Amino acid sequence: MSTTKIVTVPPEYRRRRPRGTRSPITTILQVVVGIIMIIPVWWGAVTSLRPSSEAFRFLDPLQLQTFFPLRASFDNYFALVESDLGRATLNSIIVSGTTVIIGVVTCAMAAYALSAIEFPGRNAVFVVVLISFLIPFDAIAMPLADVVRDWGLVNTYVGLILPGIGNGMAILLIRTFFLAIPHELVEAARLDGLGWFAIFWRIYVPLAVPSLIGAGLTLFLFQWQAYLWPLLVGTDKEHMLAPIALANFMTQTSIDYGVLFAGSICLTVIPLIILFSLQRYFIQSTVSSGIK
Amino acid sequence: MTADSRTRTAKAARTVTQAGGRRSSAARQRRELLLVAAVFLAPALLALFITRLLPAGVSLVESFMRSTILNPTPRFVGLQNYAELFADPAFHSSLLVTLVFTVILNPLQVGLAFLLAVLYSRSGRTTRFFRALVIVPVVVPPAISAIFWGIVYRPDGLANALLRSLGLPEQPFLTSPDQALGSIMLLVGWVGLGYWMLFLIAGINDIPEELYEAASIDGAGSWRKHLSVTLPLVRRPMLFVLVAATAIHFITFAPVQILTRGGPNGSTNLIMYDVYKRAYDLRDVSMAQAEVVILVLLALSIVAIQFRMMRGSDR
Repeated sequence: MSTTKIVTVPPEYRRRRPRGTRSPITTILQVVVGIIMIIPVWWGAVTSLRPSSEAFRFLDPLQLQTFFPLRASFDNYFALVESDLGRATLNSIIVSGTTVIIGVVTCAMAAYALSAIEFPGRNAVFVVVLISFLIPFDAIAMPLADVVRDWGLVNTYVGLILPGIGNGMAILLIRTFFLAIPHELVEAARLDGLGWFAIFWRIYVPLAVPSLIGAGLTLFLFQWQAYLWPLLVGTDKEHMLAPIALANFMTQTSIDYGVLFAGSICLTVIPLIILFSLQRYFIQSTVSSGIK
Repeated sequence: MTADSRTRTAKAARTVTQAGGRRSSAARQRRELLLVAAVFLAPALLALFITRLLPAGVSLVESFMRSTILNPTPRFVGLQNYAELFADPAFHSSLLVTLVFTVILNPLQVGLAFLLAVLYSRSGRTTRFFRALVIVPVVVPPAISAIFWGIVYRPDGLANALLRSLGLPEQPFLTSPDQALGSIMLLVGWVGLGYWMLFLIAGINDIPEELYEAASIDGAGSWRKHLSVTLPLVRRPMLFVLVAATAIHFITFAPVQILTRGGPNGSTNLIMYDVYKRAYDLRDVSMAQAEVVILVLLALSIVAIQFRMMRGSDR
C-alpha cells in the first residue's frame, strides 16, 4: 500500500481554514482517537525498554506501568545490534537505499524521455509504463521469483533490489513535474547547442527536485515495507531483510520479546523520521509551486 | 562583432541550410530523437519489462500448461487448470473469505476515515499533533503491524487485559474460526485508516467556505453542517478511496502468513495467501499460475474502475 502515500500528503496543508466553532468535545475526541490509534505502537515502544521477562508483567490488572516504564533500559537495543536482526536491519537499509539511488535516476530518465523528447511512438511507450504500473506487484511476485531463481539471483542483493528500480508510480509522478516545464526552454537550450543529457541534468533535474524527493520516498517505502518478495528470494542469513527476520523470530518456540519489540520499533521509527523530516521540505516546495 | 552574436549568426546560417534539405534532415532528426529517447528509456523499460510484464506473461502462458512428476515437460492443456481451479472447494472458500473481508472491512474503514477527516480537518497545533498520531500506523511495515497486533491478541496480551479491566470476558481472537478474520480486519483497518483520512481531508478542504456560511445562516449546527454539506460534497473522493482500499486489501498477505496461515479452518484464507500456499506448500504450480492470472485480472478491473472515477472527478 506504500505507493501513493507521500504524494497525497500536501493538499491538506495548503489551505488551513477553521471549520465551525472549536468545541471542547471536538478537542477531547481528537485526543482520545489519537491515543487509541497509537496504543499498539506505544505499548511496543514501552515494552522494548524493559527486560523480556517483564514483557507481559504489567497487564493484569492494567496499571500506570503498563504504558509508562518506571525504569527504562536500552539493553534490548544493544542485544538487537548484536543479534541476526541487526544484520537484517542493515540489509534492509542497504536494499532500500540502493533502490532509491538507482531507482530515482532510472525513473527520472524515463520521465524525461516521456515529457521533453517528442520521439515517434511516445504514446505507445507511455501506455506500456501505465500498464506495468497497474499490475499490483505482489500479485506477480511469485512467477517473477521463478524467473529470478532460474537466473541464479536468489539470495543476492541484485535480486532483492531489482523489483524496486522500475516503478511506474515514480515515473508518472516525476513526469507530471517535468511536463510543467515549458517546452520553449528545451528548444532554446537546443539552439544554444546544449545536448540532451545536459538539458536533463542542468535544467529538468534542478527544477523538479520536490518530485524527485517524492519519488524517492515512494521507492523507499516500497522496499522498506516489502514482505512477500524478500520472503521469496532472500531467505539466507546474509541477505535476509528485517521484516522477514522479525516474522521468523515470532514463530520461534522461545521468543525474546524485548528484542522483538526493539526491532519492530526500529523498523517503524526509521521511516517515520525520514517521512517527517523530508515531508516539510516536500510540502514547502509543493506550496510554492502551487502559488505559481 | 562579439563572440555571442557570431555564434548566433552561425546558428541562423545552419537553420537556413536545414530548411534547404528539409526532408532528409527531418528524417535524421527523427532518428536522433528516437535514439536519444531509447537511451533515456532503456533502464526503466528493461526493469519494468523484467519485473512486471515478463512475470505476468509467464503466468498467463503457464496457466495453460501442465507438468507432472512423471512427465516433467510442460504440455498444453488449454483451460483445464482454470476448470479445475473453479471446481476446487478450497478456491471457492478462499474467494468467499476474500469477499467477506472486503465487503465488511472497506465500508467500515472508509466511513470511519470520513468521521476522522471531519474531526481532524480543522487547523491548530493540537489537531496537527493528534492527526500525526493517526497517520503513524501507515508507515509501519505490514509485517511489523502484524507482529504488534499478534502480540496484542495473545491470550495474555494487551487486548484481553483491556477487556478484563472493562469487566468483559476474555476472547480467543486469532485462534477462533469465528474471530480470526475479524481480528485481521481490525489490524488491516488500523493500518490504512490515517492514509484514507488524508485523502478525505484534502476533499473537505476543497469545499467552498461559502457553503458552510450559508448553512450557518440557515441555522444548521456543527454536525448538521457536516451531514448536509460535507458528506454529499466529498462523495467523489470517498468513492475513490473506497475503490483504492478494495484494490489494496485485495492482496493482503503479510498478516495472514505471519499470524494465522489461513486458519483456523481456512477462515482467514485470503486469495493472495491461497496462491502462496498452492505454489509453495502444495507445489501445484500450474493451478497457482491460473490463480495468479485471475488475481491480476480482478485487480486490473478494480483499478480500471478507479481510473474511470479519477477521470470523472476532473470534470
